[in-house]
Amino acid sequence: MSRAVSTPLVVGVKGSALDLVMSTLYFDDAVPELMKMAETDRIEDSSLALPIPIYARFQARGFPIVGTTLDYFAFRGLEIADGRQLAIIGETVLGAKAAEALELGPGDFLVSSPETPFDLAGVYPLKMNVVGILAKSHTSDDLAVFVDLKTAWIIEGLGHGHQDLIKNKDASLVLERNEKNVTANAKLRLYTEISEINLDSFHFHGDRSQYRLTALITVPHDSKSGTLLRGRYVSPAAATQIVQPVEVIDGLLQNIFRIKNVIDAIIMVVGVATILAILLVFSLSVRLRQREIQTIFKLGCSRLTIVRLMAAEILIILVFSSVLCVGMMTVVDHFKNDLVRIAFIR
Amino acid sequence: MVNFKYRYLGLCLIFWIFGVVTSAESGSKRDKPTVAVANYPLKYFTERIVGNHVEVIFPIPSDIDPAFWIPEPNGVLAFQSADVILLNGATYSKWLDKVTLLRRKMVNTSEGFQEQYIQIQEFTTHRHGPQGEHAHAGVAFTTWLDFQQAIQQAEAILNAVIKLTPQHEKHFQTNFLSLKKDLLALDRRLETIVSPQSTKPLLASHPVYHYLARRYGLNIRSVLWEPSEIPNPTQLKELEKILKNHPAKWMIWEGDPNPPSVVLLETLGVNSLVFDPAGNVPVKGDFLSVMQQNVENLKLAF
Repeated sequence: MSRAVSTPLVVGVKGSALDLVMSTLYFDDAVPELMKMAETDRIEDSSLALPIPIYARFQARGFPIVGTTLDYFAFRGLEIADGRQLAIIGETVLGAKAAEALELGPGDFLVSSPETPFDLAGVYPLKMNVVGILAKSHTSDDLAVFVDLKTAWIIEGLGHGHQDLIKNKDASLVLERNEKNVTANAKLRLYTEISEINLDSFHFHGDRSQYRLTALITVPHDSKSGTLLRGRYVSPAAATQIVQPVEVIDGLLQNIFRIKNVIDAIIMVVGVATILAILLVFSLSVRLRQREIQTIFKLGCSRLTIVRLMAAEILIILVFSSVLCVGMMTVVDHFKNDLVRIAFIR
Repeated sequence: MVNFKYRYLGLCLIFWIFGVVTSAESGSKRDKPTVAVANYPLKYFTERIVGNHVEVIFPIPSDIDPAFWIPEPNGVLAFQSADVILLNGATYSKWLDKVTLLRRKMVNTSEGFQEQYIQIQEFTTHRHGPQGEHAHAGVAFTTWLDFQQAIQQAEAILNAVIKLTPQHEKHFQTNFLSLKKDLLALDRRLETIVSPQSTKPLLASHPVYHYLARRYGLNIRSVLWEPSEIPNPTQLKELEKILKNHPAKWMIWEGDPNPPSVVLLETLGVNSLVFDPAGNVPVKGDFLSVMQQNVENLKLAF
């Protein structure tokens, strides 16, 4: 909840506000619909807020790759614990837990995962240089793989480096060559790693304003600017939406607590019924054993002793059933996350 | 016992004073804002304007063309550490797409006249120095060679540094006016020299004089020769072809040409002069002295 409170506004494509917030704040697996970089320019030109673009679409060995700008680190108060900050495309800075789990440190490499193994024309894996590890923040940032936004676009294929077509005279690479242009065929080798040697060859194609993002964290300069900015997204015709993460998460938690309250009520009713059933069982048991109790009494046992005997029986049953309950609860508590995942989450 | 108490208090007082003084000193050192610049003209303009009030850093090595710098981490981190990053604009810094910098710190000093950027169609790559091959296609970027544009860039710098340290505004304004006066003097001098014969055909060893040509009406055709290299037979043939329709008597070089190149040109009836764009820190002098010398050199052709 504190992460939602500390994030003033999030802009994304119209649709599920919950998916947008979960992806932006917690780097959830479900990727929201993609929006255009032009929205960043629009917010910047308004001078009402600082836009922080987020492109959290790809993964590297199970950890989300978060393409963003240096503003994100300042905004979240993330410090470098080992190594240095991002400087050049192709570099990555890991969250503390991601680095621990992957056993990587500055100087190592991490390859991005293909989106799907069956899309042969899809994004190419990029071998990224690990240059820094962040200090623990006890948030989702600890599990993220941070890259420059441009690096995320390179993973997408919007930017690339390749052999120099002007210098390279290999005719088998070229479909067509004239004074103004050279067209290469698919034989042209695209670099899957950015190094000192090929850095100069990397470039981007197309209109940058059409490049894609998953969301924009928007930090208004003051509350008035925030209100004005939100007013610009009110129109039903707008393709994008602006949400306050704290409202979305609050709504989610209220739903969760509402469900919890229902479950609590049900458990209470079941509990009362169970207690009544136990009382019924014990009273029936005493009634059925009346002859046995009278016989013990005739043999010389005092009433107090008989009461003590009955109480001891009840106590032993209660203790053994409590031990059994505690044991079962301990086992369930230990495996609760896996059980919920198996039972409720696809 | 009492003596010990007073001595102890005295010692604490001394340490406290020491701590306050040292933290004030270190605080004042940290307080000086920093501006990073993308080329030497911007460095010169900024230093003229800010004096000692702002630290100006230029993290690009002095032996390369800053436009084609291949970024390395230390240089980029130096840019990141600055409070403001002054860029030339007009796609000058080819390396911008390869580095991680905060957009909100960047100031495009030529944004005010971006409608007047010159588009060029030059296609062939070439190389010089250790940087590897590049091409001059796209937008012409030596904007400061039009001294009116240089003034506009200086004004953009002025606005940026005033925003950074508003308490020194008056000082910056005074310095800017002094710089503007010097640039205007260069502008007028060049106009005076060129205007009587502005259509006179000239050659340029490198396609970097677009804005100079436009501003002062120079009739320039460019080739792709390097001052340090002797032109090969193909290049000489290309030049002869150009001279047939463009009978230039002078070639403008970016730097001192190789003597054999000068001799070869003279055999074709072409003399040599140097107009150094001063993209990086000059070996001798400063931007103003280099430009003053450039203007006097150009006088030879007129």
